[in-house]
Amino acid sequence: MVATVENTDVKQKDADRALIVAVTSRSVFESGADDDGDEEVYKVGTAFPLLQALQRVNERLLEENPAESLLFDVVLITTDRQQQQQSSRIISSTRHYGLEVGRFCFSSEEDFTESLLTNNVQLFLSTDAMEASQASQKGVVSAQLDQHAASCPSEQLRVLFCGDAVVRLSSSPAPASQQAPQSFSAQLGEMRQRFGLFDSPVSVVLVTSRGGRESCGTALRTLRSHGVSVDEAYCLAGAPRGPMLSLIRPHFLLSVGFSDLKE
Amino acid sequence: MSLDAVQVMSGQVKELKVPPPSNGDSRGSWEEKEEFDRDHLGLSTKPKPPKPENAVTVAVSSRVLFRTEREQKVFEQEGVEEYLRDQIAHEDEPFAPGPAFPFVKALETVNGRLRELYPQSEELFDIVLVTYNHAHVGIRLINTINHHNLFIERFCMTGGSSPIGYLKAWHTNLYLSADAEKVREALAEGIAAATMFMPGKQTEVSESQLRVAFDGDAVLFSDESERIFKAHGLDKFFEHERANEDTLLDHGPLKGFLEALGKLQKKFYAKGHRLDCPIRTYLVTARSAASSGIRALKTLRAWGLEIDEALFLAGAPKGPMLEKIRPHIYFDDQMFHVEGAAEVGTIAAHVPYGIAQKHNPKQKAGVGK
Repeated sequence: MVATVENTDVKQKDADRALIVAVTSRSVFESGADDDGDEEVYKVGTAFPLLQALQRVNERLLEENPAESLLFDVVLITTDRQQQQQSSRIISSTRHYGLEVGRFCFSSEEDFTESLLTNNVQLFLSTDAMEASQASQKGVVSAQLDQHAASCPSEQLRVLFCGDAVVRLSSSPAPASQQAPQSFSAQLGEMRQRFGLFDSPVSVVLVTSRGGRESCGTALRTLRSHGVSVDEAYCLAGAPRGPMLSLIRPHFLLSVGFSDLKE
Repeated sequence: MSLDAVQVMSGQVKELKVPPPSNGDSRGSWEEKEEFDRDHLGLSTKPKPPKPENAVTVAVSSRVLFRTEREQKVFEQEGVEEYLRDQIAHEDEPFAPGPAFPFVKALETVNGRLRELYPQSEELFDIVLVTYNHAHVGIRLINTINHHNLFIERFCMTGGSSPIGYLKAWHTNLYLSADAEKVREALAEGIAAATMFMPGKQTEVSESQLRVAFDGDAVLFSDESERIFKAHGLDKFFEHERANEDTLLDHGPLKGFLEALGKLQKKFYAKGHRLDCPIRTYLVTARSAASSGIRALKTLRAWGLEIDEALFLAGAPKGPMLEKIRPHIYFDDQMFHVEGAAEVGTIAAHVPYGIAQKHNPKQKAGVGK
């Protein structure tokens, strides 16, 4: 049974306008082998800088406009029974670090994807590839966080779009599997527009790995048509991705539009 | 037409140019074909870009490849938001060629010849556009590249952050920029780099042969001798050079690039194209042939580097010589010479390296090195 708990420490966001992002508890906190240990508070995990970056974006948005409703609404979700049973420890750890988590969702491996849908989650992030894949199959835009996310900056949210799988422009309405990514992109794009070119707390990066400049041009135009202005673009035309990604340091990668995320 | 037939024909008849297949089939691997399908091209063949570690990578910034003075002014006078709005409004207007344009076109010509002789080789020039522009300008840059028919498939638009890390990741052999700060940063990281300026007039350059000219001291060689000259004068300089004739000069920031050019030249020689090699290199130095020049030549020989023409001016102005040579690019560490080159319509690039940077760049003609 899924228990959803509001975090009373944090002011609740406008559910209709906020960009709801769910992150797994195992990504945010480092749960040791001995989960019923004496310590009350978990150590920080891979997704910690990411949460701080999301928080930073919210702070800056509210600085620009104290009545801003387009904010990140973070849901901390458990995706297995073991974590599900650690609810008090998860809540106290969240409070300890002052994390801006709006809600907790205590679900298990069987029902977490349902929780994502019930909570209208627009972006699901997990360090577990299987979980990301499962959620994606249910139509939720998902990305796997890799261990490098732990060393990403916490002052700027860096979102990477992989251009080789960007949705093609078409005159017919987007099929269902493409609507979720497009609406997420549109909201992210709108959020980005709240800030100027320099000193923005969010940066949108595009990488086309295999294609040449035509692929990149198409990707830029497509993203623009979805309301996303790209800050940085790297066209690799087959050059190795690894060195580039370690320079770009994205928090997570999105292949917008297509269901397979194995890039 | 099969690939084998293409190879045989190119090797035997120099003038025969095999037209690209018109049915849209690519000449490369399946992976490449996938890319074309994805690109929805189905047009003429586009060769696959080489792996960065195999290629001679030349990174150029948008401000030297194209002319962006008008837009720069908008940026400086009206701010960044207006600059972007202006760029996007003119997105379908291609930029005009900039100072690095003839050089880049010449690199592509060499690539064409290399591909004819060595269809499978990745030892080619790879031109990468590196700019710290925001990607908003990306579409206009891509449109411009298309308009001028340039073969540039790789780029970095860093949106304001330093491109230096990316230069290293691309194994950059030469970086050309309009920004002296960025060039200095690159040099400090061991990457050959130079600042380019738009000359008032441009002399015509060859369309079939790439010509690259280098100054000697503080460009190909270290600035050690220049230091002696500046500290103690011409006589001491000559004395020092004579005494150290058999000691190799230390290497300068552009040595590696000359080396890369030499490797490609040897590929042409190997196929019998020594006399009509599409790459030609020049040393244009104020050293004199009879004395101080000997040390320079011995050093080059010891490094295993051939230079096609060594011009020892013994202090005479470089302009007339450059006008004769008509290089696509001339590298010098002294702004005085760079400006002198511009006066005769030669595109010169300033290498901000060594002792000359600390002194007044405007020196008396004939005395400067």
